Amino acid sequence: MIAASNKMSFDANKVVMLAEARSDNWSQLLMKVGADRDKAAFAVLFDHFAPLLKGFLMKGSALGPERAEELAQETMIKVWRKADSFNASKASASTWIYTIARNCRIDWLRREAKSSRDIEAEDIYDFGDENPSFNSLVQMRNRDKIRENLAFLPPEQLEVLAKIYFEGKTHSEVSLELGLPLGTVKSRIRLALNRLQVRMTAAEARQDA
Amino acid sequence: MPEVRLHPNTDALLDYSAGSLSPAQAVAISAHLFYCPGCQAKTRTLNAIGGNLLANTEAVSVAVDCLSDVMAQLDTVDTALPEKREINNAAPQGDRWKNLPPLVKGLVRDSGISWRHLSSSLRVARLPVGERRFELALHQIKAGGSAPAHDHRGLEITVVLHGSFSDDEGVYHQGDYITREPGHIHTPVATANTECVCLSVLEAPIRLVGRFSRLFNPFLSFMPV
Repeated sequence: MIAASNKMSFDANKVVMLAEARSDNWSQLLMKVGADRDKAAFAVLFDHFAPLLKGFLMKGSALGPERAEELAQETMIKVWRKADSFNASKASASTWIYTIARNCRIDWLRREAKSSRDIEAEDIYDFGDENPSFNSLVQMRNRDKIRENLAFLPPEQLEVLAKIYFEGKTHSEVSLELGLPLGTVKSRIRLALNRLQVRMTAAEARQDA
Repeated sequence: MPEVRLHPNTDALLDYSAGSLSPAQAVAISAHLFYCPGCQAKTRTLNAIGGNLLANTEAVSVAVDCLSDVMAQLDTVDTALPEKREINNAAPQGDRWKNLPPLVKGLVRDSGISWRHLSSSLRVARLPVGERRFELALHQIKAGGSAPAHDHRGLEITVVLHGSFSDDEGVYHQGDYITREPGHIHTPVATANTECVCLSVLEAPIRLVGRFSRLFNPFLSFMPV
Protein backbone atom coordinates (compact mmCIF):
# COMPACT_ATOMS: atom_id res chain seq x y z
CA MET A 1 0.00 0.00 0.00
CA ILE A 2 2.75 2.37 0.99
CA ALA A 3 4.61 1.59 -2.17
CA ALA A 4 1.47 2.29 -4.17
CA SER A 5 0.83 5.67 -2.57
CA ASN A 6 4.47 6.64 -3.01
CA LYS A 7 4.15 5.83 -6.62
CA MET A 8 1.07 8.01 -6.86
CA SER A 9 2.72 10.99 -5.29
CA PHE A 10 5.67 10.55 -7.64
CA ASP A 11 3.34 10.58 -10.61
CA ALA A 12 1.55 13.67 -9.30
CA ASN A 13 4.90 15.33 -8.94
CA LYS A 14 5.75 14.44 -12.50
CA VAL A 15 2.49 15.95 -13.73
CA VAL A 16 3.26 19.21 -11.93
CA MET A 17 6.75 19.31 -13.38
CA LEU A 18 5.47 18.71 -16.86
CA ALA A 19 2.83 21.39 -16.45
CA GLU A 20 5.48 23.85 -15.33
CA ALA A 21 7.78 23.03 -18.16
CA ARG A 22 4.95 23.51 -20.61
CA SER A 23 4.02 26.88 -19.26
CA ASP A 24 6.49 28.40 -21.69
CA ASN A 25 4.21 31.11 -23.11
CA TRP A 26 4.99 30.56 -26.75
CA SER A 27 4.17 26.89 -26.51
CA GLN A 28 0.83 27.71 -24.90
CA LEU A 29 -0.03 30.23 -27.58
CA LEU A 30 0.91 27.74 -30.25
CA MET A 31 -1.36 25.13 -28.71
CA LYS A 32 -4.16 27.69 -28.68
CA VAL A 33 -3.62 28.30 -32.38
CA GLY A 34 -3.78 24.57 -32.99
CA ALA A 35 -6.84 23.89 -30.86
CA ASP A 36 -8.98 26.98 -31.55
CA ARG A 37 -7.60 28.30 -34.84
CA ASP A 38 -7.09 31.47 -32.80
CA LYS A 39 -5.91 34.23 -35.15
CA ALA A 40 -5.17 36.73 -32.40
CA ALA A 41 -2.85 34.20 -30.75
CA PHE A 42 -1.26 33.56 -34.13
CA ALA A 43 -0.62 37.29 -34.64
CA VAL A 44 1.21 37.45 -31.30
CA LEU A 45 3.32 34.45 -32.29
CA PHE A 46 4.01 36.04 -35.64
CA ASP A 47 5.19 39.30 -34.12
CA HIS A 48 7.64 37.40 -31.96
CA PHE A 49 8.89 34.72 -34.34
CA ALA A 50 8.83 36.32 -37.81
CA PRO A 51 11.68 38.78 -36.99
CA LEU A 52 13.64 35.99 -35.29
CA LEU A 53 13.17 33.76 -38.33
CA LYS A 54 14.24 36.55 -40.63
CA GLY A 55 17.36 37.17 -38.55
CA PHE A 56 18.06 33.46 -38.32
CA LEU A 57 17.72 32.92 -42.08
CA MET A 58 19.78 35.99 -43.00
CA LYS A 59 22.65 35.30 -40.69
CA GLY A 60 25.74 34.95 -42.81
CA SER A 61 23.97 32.88 -45.44
CA ALA A 62 23.25 33.61 -49.06
CA LEU A 63 19.73 34.76 -48.22
CA GLY A 64 19.17 38.47 -48.63
CA PRO A 65 16.66 40.31 -46.42
CA GLU A 66 13.81 39.97 -48.93
CA ARG A 67 14.21 36.23 -49.46
CA ALA A 68 14.64 35.73 -45.74
CA GLU A 69 11.38 37.59 -45.11
CA GLU A 70 9.55 35.53 -47.73
CA LEU A 71 10.81 32.34 -46.14
CA ALA A 72 9.84 33.63 -42.69
CA GLN A 73 6.32 34.23 -44.04
CA GLU A 74 6.21 30.81 -45.64
CA THR A 75 7.35 29.27 -42.36
CA MET A 76 4.68 31.10 -40.36
CA ILE A 77 1.93 30.03 -42.78
CA LYS A 78 3.07 26.42 -42.28
CA VAL A 79 2.99 27.04 -38.54
CA TRP A 80 -0.67 28.04 -38.88
CA ARG A 81 -1.50 25.02 -41.03
CA LYS A 82 0.28 22.49 -38.86
CA ALA A 83 -0.31 23.98 -35.41
CA ASP A 84 -2.69 21.17 -34.42
CA SER A 85 0.16 18.67 -34.71
CA PHE A 86 2.33 20.62 -32.26
CA ASN A 87 2.94 18.64 -29.09
CA ALA A 88 4.45 20.65 -26.24
CA SER A 89 5.69 17.56 -24.45
CA LYS A 90 7.98 16.75 -27.38
CA ALA A 91 9.40 20.10 -28.34
CA SER A 92 9.18 23.71 -27.32
CA ALA A 93 7.55 26.20 -29.70
CA SER A 94 10.90 27.56 -30.84
CA THR A 95 12.29 24.08 -31.54
CA TRP A 96 9.17 23.09 -33.47
CA ILE A 97 9.23 26.31 -35.47
CA TYR A 98 12.96 25.83 -36.07
CA THR A 99 12.32 22.46 -37.76
CA ILE A 100 9.62 23.98 -39.97
CA ALA A 101 11.94 26.83 -41.00
CA ARG A 102 14.70 24.32 -41.70
CA ASN A 103 12.38 22.34 -43.98
CA CYS A 104 11.26 25.51 -45.79
CA ARG A 105 14.89 26.44 -46.35
CA ILE A 106 15.71 22.99 -47.73
CA ASP A 107 12.79 23.16 -50.17
CA TRP A 108 13.72 26.69 -51.19
CA LEU A 109 17.31 25.66 -51.89
CA ARG A 110 16.09 22.74 -53.97
CA ARG A 111 13.73 25.00 -55.92
CA GLU A 112 16.66 27.34 -56.57
CA ALA A 113 18.81 24.45 -57.73
CA LYS A 114 15.93 23.54 -60.07
CA SER A 115 16.06 20.00 -58.83
CA SER A 116 12.76 18.27 -59.26
CA ARG A 117 10.92 18.07 -56.00
CA ASP A 118 9.56 14.57 -55.97
CA ILE A 119 9.30 14.81 -52.25
CA GLU A 120 9.15 17.68 -49.78
CA ALA A 121 11.49 18.16 -46.86
CA GLU A 122 8.50 17.92 -44.53
CA ASP A 123 7.99 14.31 -45.64
CA ILE A 124 11.69 13.44 -45.69
CA TYR A 125 12.13 14.63 -42.13
CA ASP A 126 9.09 12.83 -40.80
CA PHE A 127 10.40 9.84 -38.93
CA GLY A 128 7.08 8.82 -37.46
CA ASP A 129 7.99 9.88 -33.94
CA GLU A 130 4.76 8.88 -32.28
CA ASN A 131 6.82 6.68 -30.06
CA PRO A 132 4.96 5.86 -26.83
CA SER A 133 8.16 4.85 -25.01
CA PHE A 134 9.50 8.35 -25.42
CA ASN A 135 10.30 9.85 -22.04
CA SER A 136 9.15 13.44 -22.04
CA LEU A 137 10.36 14.16 -18.52
CA VAL A 138 13.95 13.43 -19.48
CA GLN A 139 13.41 15.45 -22.61
CA MET A 140 12.18 18.42 -20.55
CA ARG A 141 15.26 18.34 -18.36
CA ASN A 142 17.48 18.16 -21.43
CA ARG A 143 15.68 21.13 -22.88
CA ASP A 144 16.38 23.28 -19.84
CA LYS A 145 20.00 22.14 -19.76
CA ILE A 146 20.47 23.05 -23.40
CA ARG A 147 19.13 26.53 -22.80
CA GLU A 148 21.39 27.07 -19.80
CA ASN A 149 24.50 25.52 -21.28
CA LEU A 150 24.21 27.25 -24.62
CA ALA A 151 24.67 30.55 -22.83
CA PHE A 152 28.03 29.37 -21.46
CA LEU A 153 29.56 27.91 -24.61
CA PRO A 154 32.93 29.40 -25.52
CA PRO A 155 32.52 31.74 -28.51
CA GLU A 156 34.61 29.58 -30.86
CA GLN A 157 32.34 26.60 -30.24
CA LEU A 158 29.21 28.69 -30.64
CA GLU A 159 30.56 30.08 -33.90
CA VAL A 160 30.90 26.62 -35.41
CA LEU A 161 27.47 25.50 -34.21
CA ALA A 162 25.89 28.68 -35.54
CA LYS A 163 27.40 28.10 -38.99
CA ILE A 164 26.01 24.60 -39.05
CA TYR A 165 22.51 25.48 -37.89
CA PHE A 166 22.02 28.94 -39.34
CA GLU A 167 23.52 28.24 -42.70
CA GLY A 168 23.02 24.52 -43.07
CA LYS A 169 26.74 24.16 -43.77
CA THR A 170 28.52 20.81 -43.70
CA HIS A 171 31.55 20.36 -41.48
CA SER A 172 33.97 20.63 -44.39
CA GLU A 173 32.29 23.81 -45.64
CA VAL A 174 32.64 25.29 -42.17
CA SER A 175 36.29 24.32 -42.06
CA LEU A 176 36.89 25.96 -45.44
CA GLU A 177 35.05 29.11 -44.49
CA LEU A 178 36.72 29.62 -41.14
CA GLY A 179 40.11 28.53 -42.47
CA LEU A 180 40.37 25.85 -39.79
CA PRO A 181 41.49 22.23 -40.18
CA LEU A 182 38.55 19.84 -40.39
CA GLY A 183 39.76 18.10 -37.23
CA THR A 184 39.53 21.36 -35.28
CA VAL A 185 35.97 21.97 -36.51
CA LYS A 186 35.02 18.45 -35.53
CA SER A 187 36.56 18.68 -32.08
CA ARG A 188 34.82 22.02 -31.42
CA ILE A 189 31.53 20.44 -32.39
CA ARG A 190 32.27 17.46 -30.17
CA LEU A 191 33.11 19.68 -27.19
CA ALA A 192 30.01 21.81 -27.71
CA LEU A 193 27.70 18.81 -28.03
CA ASN A 194 29.22 17.26 -24.93
CA ARG A 195 28.42 20.36 -22.95
CA LEU A 196 24.93 20.36 -24.40
CA GLN A 197 24.45 16.80 -23.18
CA VAL A 198 24.23 15.12 -26.55
CA ARG A 199 25.29 11.58 -25.86
CA MET A 200 27.88 10.17 -28.19
CA THR A 201 27.72 6.65 -29.53
CA ALA A 202 29.89 4.06 -27.79
CA ALA A 203 32.33 4.03 -30.71
CA GLU A 204 32.71 7.80 -30.61
CA ALA A 205 33.27 7.75 -26.86
CA ARG A 206 36.06 5.20 -27.37
CA GLN A 207 37.63 7.45 -29.97
CA ASP A 208 37.65 10.35 -27.55
CA ALA A 209 39.05 8.37 -24.66
CA MET B 1 11.76 -5.99 -31.88
CA PRO B 2 15.44 -6.44 -30.98
CA GLU B 3 17.36 -3.30 -30.15
CA VAL B 4 19.02 -1.57 -33.06
CA ARG B 5 22.79 -1.99 -32.82
CA LEU B 6 24.31 0.15 -35.53
CA HIS B 7 23.67 3.87 -35.55
CA PRO B 8 24.59 6.88 -37.62
CA ASN B 9 27.37 8.88 -35.96
CA THR B 10 26.59 12.10 -34.13
CA ASP B 11 27.95 14.23 -36.96
CA ALA B 12 25.44 12.69 -39.35
CA LEU B 13 22.56 13.32 -36.93
CA LEU B 14 23.75 16.89 -36.46
CA ASP B 15 23.81 17.47 -40.23
CA TYR B 16 20.35 15.90 -40.43
CA SER B 17 19.03 18.20 -37.73
CA ALA B 18 20.66 21.24 -39.32
CA GLY B 19 19.22 20.31 -42.71
CA SER B 20 22.45 19.99 -44.67
CA LEU B 21 22.21 16.36 -45.76
CA SER B 22 21.22 15.49 -49.28
CA PRO B 23 17.61 14.21 -49.57
CA ALA B 24 18.64 10.56 -50.05
CA GLN B 25 20.93 10.65 -46.99
CA ALA B 26 18.18 12.31 -44.95
CA VAL B 27 15.73 9.57 -45.96
CA ALA B 28 18.19 6.94 -44.70
CA ILE B 29 18.49 8.72 -41.33
CA SER B 30 14.70 9.11 -41.05
CA ALA B 31 14.30 5.40 -41.77
CA HIS B 32 16.79 4.52 -39.02
CA LEU B 33 15.09 6.91 -36.58
CA PHE B 34 11.79 5.13 -37.14
CA TYR B 35 13.32 2.02 -35.55
CA CYS B 36 15.60 3.68 -32.98
CA PRO B 37 14.18 5.53 -29.94
CA GLY B 38 17.71 6.36 -28.75
CA CYS B 39 18.61 8.26 -31.90
CA GLN B 40 15.15 9.87 -31.89
CA ALA B 41 15.89 11.34 -28.46
CA LYS B 42 19.30 12.50 -29.65
CA THR B 43 17.75 14.13 -32.70
CA ARG B 44 15.22 15.94 -30.53
CA THR B 45 18.08 17.30 -28.45
CA LEU B 46 19.90 18.42 -31.60
CA ASN B 47 16.69 20.05 -32.85
CA ALA B 48 16.36 21.78 -29.50
CA ILE B 49 19.84 23.28 -30.00
CA GLY B 50 18.55 24.71 -33.30
CA GLY B 51 15.42 25.96 -31.52
CA ASN B 52 17.47 27.68 -28.84
CA LEU B 53 19.76 29.27 -31.42
CA LEU B 54 16.63 30.56 -33.17
CA ALA B 55 15.18 31.87 -29.91
CA ASN B 56 18.44 33.69 -29.10
CA THR B 57 19.14 35.05 -32.54
CA GLU B 58 19.12 38.74 -33.27
CA ALA B 59 15.67 39.72 -34.54
CA VAL B 60 15.49 41.64 -37.81
CA SER B 61 12.30 43.63 -38.17
CA VAL B 62 9.97 42.62 -40.97
CA ALA B 63 8.04 44.92 -43.33
CA VAL B 64 4.99 46.68 -41.88
CA ASP B 65 2.56 44.76 -44.07
CA CYS B 66 4.25 41.40 -43.48
CA LEU B 67 1.74 40.29 -40.86
CA SER B 68 -1.36 41.52 -42.71
CA ASP B 69 -0.03 39.78 -45.82
CA VAL B 70 0.13 36.50 -44.00
CA MET B 71 -3.18 37.01 -42.13
CA ALA B 72 -4.91 37.55 -45.47
CA GLN B 73 -3.64 34.18 -46.62
CA LEU B 74 -4.65 32.14 -43.59
CA ASP B 75 -8.23 31.40 -44.65
CA THR B 76 -7.24 30.55 -48.18
CA VAL B 77 -4.47 28.20 -47.07
CA ASP B 78 -6.97 26.44 -44.86
CA THR B 79 -9.20 25.66 -47.80
CA ALA B 80 -6.63 25.50 -50.56
CA LEU B 81 -4.44 23.07 -48.65
CA PRO B 82 -3.67 20.24 -51.02
CA GLU B 83 -5.00 16.93 -49.76
CA LYS B 84 -2.39 15.63 -47.38
CA ARG B 85 -1.13 12.51 -49.01
CA GLU B 86 -2.44 9.53 -47.17
CA ILE B 87 0.81 7.71 -46.92
CA ASN B 88 -0.60 4.45 -45.66
CA ASN B 89 -3.26 4.19 -48.31
CA ALA B 90 -2.47 1.90 -51.13
CA ALA B 91 0.80 0.98 -49.49
CA PRO B 92 2.10 -2.28 -50.87
CA GLN B 93 0.76 -5.33 -49.13
CA GLY B 94 2.59 -8.32 -47.73
CA ASP B 95 4.89 -9.23 -44.87
CA ARG B 96 7.91 -7.38 -46.04
CA TRP B 97 6.05 -4.06 -46.01
CA LYS B 98 4.52 -4.43 -42.59
CA ASN B 99 6.84 -2.53 -40.31
CA LEU B 100 8.25 -0.05 -42.77
CA PRO B 101 8.77 3.64 -42.01
CA PRO B 102 5.76 5.60 -43.38
CA LEU B 103 8.19 7.70 -45.41
CA VAL B 104 9.48 4.63 -47.26
CA LYS B 105 5.94 3.32 -47.79
CA GLY B 106 5.04 6.70 -49.26
CA LEU B 107 8.03 6.66 -51.61
CA VAL B 108 7.22 3.14 -52.72
CA ARG B 109 3.60 4.03 -53.31
CA ASP B 110 4.37 7.25 -55.16
CA SER B 111 6.96 5.85 -57.49
CA GLY B 112 5.35 2.46 -57.88
CA ILE B 113 7.78 -0.28 -57.31
CA SER B 114 9.59 -1.58 -60.32
CA TRP B 115 12.05 -4.29 -59.46
CA ARG B 116 15.00 -5.09 -61.61
CA HIS B 117 16.87 -8.34 -61.18
CA LEU B 118 20.60 -8.06 -60.69
CA SER B 119 21.05 -11.75 -60.08
CA SER B 120 18.80 -14.71 -59.32
CA SER B 121 18.61 -13.75 -55.65
CA LEU B 122 19.00 -9.99 -55.71
CA ARG B 123 16.69 -7.33 -57.10
CA VAL B 124 16.65 -3.58 -56.86
CA ALA B 125 14.10 -0.78 -57.20
CA ARG B 126 15.06 2.86 -57.42
CA LEU B 127 13.23 5.43 -55.33
CA PRO B 128 13.37 8.86 -56.91
CA VAL B 129 14.03 11.74 -54.52
CA GLY B 130 15.12 14.28 -57.10
CA GLU B 131 18.86 14.44 -56.77
CA ARG B 132 21.92 13.33 -58.66
CA ARG B 133 24.68 12.89 -56.18
CA PHE B 134 23.14 10.01 -54.29
CA GLU B 135 20.81 7.31 -55.47
CA LEU B 136 18.20 5.89 -53.19
CA ALA B 137 16.99 2.33 -53.73
CA LEU B 138 15.51 -0.74 -52.16
CA HIS B 139 17.50 -3.93 -52.39
CA GLN B 140 15.89 -7.26 -51.79
CA ILE B 141 17.84 -10.48 -51.23
CA LYS B 142 15.96 -13.78 -51.28
CA ALA B 143 15.99 -15.86 -48.10
CA GLY B 144 19.41 -17.49 -47.92
CA GLY B 145 20.44 -15.81 -51.14
CA SER B 146 23.51 -13.68 -51.55
CA ALA B 147 24.21 -10.47 -53.35
CA PRO B 148 27.11 -10.58 -55.77
CA ALA B 149 30.41 -9.43 -54.30
CA HIS B 150 30.69 -5.76 -55.03
CA ASP B 151 32.88 -2.84 -54.28
CA HIS B 152 31.86 0.73 -53.82
CA ARG B 153 32.77 3.56 -56.05
CA GLY B 154 31.33 5.92 -53.51
CA LEU B 155 29.89 5.92 -50.04
CA GLU B 156 27.17 3.35 -49.40
CA ILE B 157 24.65 3.56 -46.58
CA THR B 158 22.34 0.64 -45.88
CA VAL B 159 19.39 0.53 -43.49
CA VAL B 160 17.84 -2.90 -42.88
CA LEU B 161 14.04 -2.64 -43.23
CA HIS B 162 13.02 -6.27 -43.10
CA GLY B 163 14.74 -9.55 -42.29
CA SER B 164 18.47 -9.62 -41.75
CA PHE B 165 21.68 -10.17 -43.63
CA SER B 166 25.30 -10.80 -42.87
CA ASP B 167 28.66 -10.22 -44.44
CA ASP B 168 32.22 -10.86 -43.36
CA GLU B 169 31.89 -8.17 -40.67
CA GLY B 170 28.72 -9.17 -38.90
CA VAL B 171 24.97 -9.76 -38.88
CA TYR B 172 22.61 -6.85 -39.44
CA HIS B 173 19.04 -6.60 -38.24
CA GLN B 174 16.04 -4.35 -38.72
CA GLY B 175 16.91 -0.69 -38.22
CA ASP B 176 20.69 -1.14 -38.34
CA TYR B 177 22.43 1.70 -40.15
CA ILE B 178 25.53 0.51 -41.96
CA THR B 179 28.07 2.77 -43.62
CA ARG B 180 30.57 1.46 -46.14
CA GLU B 181 33.41 3.58 -47.42
CA PRO B 182 34.44 3.59 -51.08
CA GLY B 183 36.67 0.69 -51.99
CA HIS B 184 35.18 -1.69 -49.46
CA ILE B 185 34.35 -5.08 -50.96
CA HIS B 186 31.75 -7.29 -49.37
CA THR B 187 29.27 -10.06 -50.11
CA PRO B 188 25.98 -9.66 -48.25
CA VAL B 189 24.03 -12.86 -47.58
CA ALA B 190 20.41 -12.89 -46.40
CA THR B 191 19.47 -14.99 -43.39
CA ALA B 192 18.27 -18.46 -44.36
CA ASN B 193 14.62 -18.24 -43.33
CA THR B 194 13.54 -14.77 -44.43
CA GLU B 195 14.22 -12.52 -47.31
CA CYS B 196 15.96 -9.25 -46.57
CA VAL B 197 14.87 -5.80 -47.70
CA CYS B 198 17.26 -2.88 -47.32
CA LEU B 199 17.15 0.77 -48.09
CA SER B 200 20.38 1.88 -49.67
CA VAL B 201 21.96 5.16 -50.52
CA LEU B 202 24.74 5.03 -53.06
CA GLU B 203 26.98 7.87 -53.97
CA ALA B 204 26.74 8.11 -57.70
CA PRO B 205 30.00 7.53 -59.52
CA ILE B 206 31.24 9.93 -62.13
CA ARG B 207 28.95 9.56 -65.07
CA LEU B 208 30.52 8.78 -68.41
CA VAL B 209 28.72 9.24 -71.67
CA GLY B 210 28.90 7.08 -74.72
CA ARG B 211 29.03 3.37 -74.99
CA PHE B 212 30.45 2.83 -71.53
CA SER B 213 27.83 4.86 -69.71
CA ARG B 214 25.80 1.77 -68.91
CA LEU B 215 28.68 0.38 -66.91
CA PHE B 216 28.65 3.36 -64.66
CA ASN B 217 25.13 3.09 -63.46
CA PRO B 218 25.86 2.30 -59.81
CA PHE B 219 23.37 -0.53 -59.73
CA LEU B 220 25.20 -2.19 -62.54
CA SER B 221 28.47 -1.80 -60.74
CA PHE B 222 27.85 -5.10 -58.98
CA MET B 223 30.43 -7.50 -60.23
CA PRO B 224 28.98 -10.83 -61.31
CA VAL B 225 30.29 -13.69 -59.21
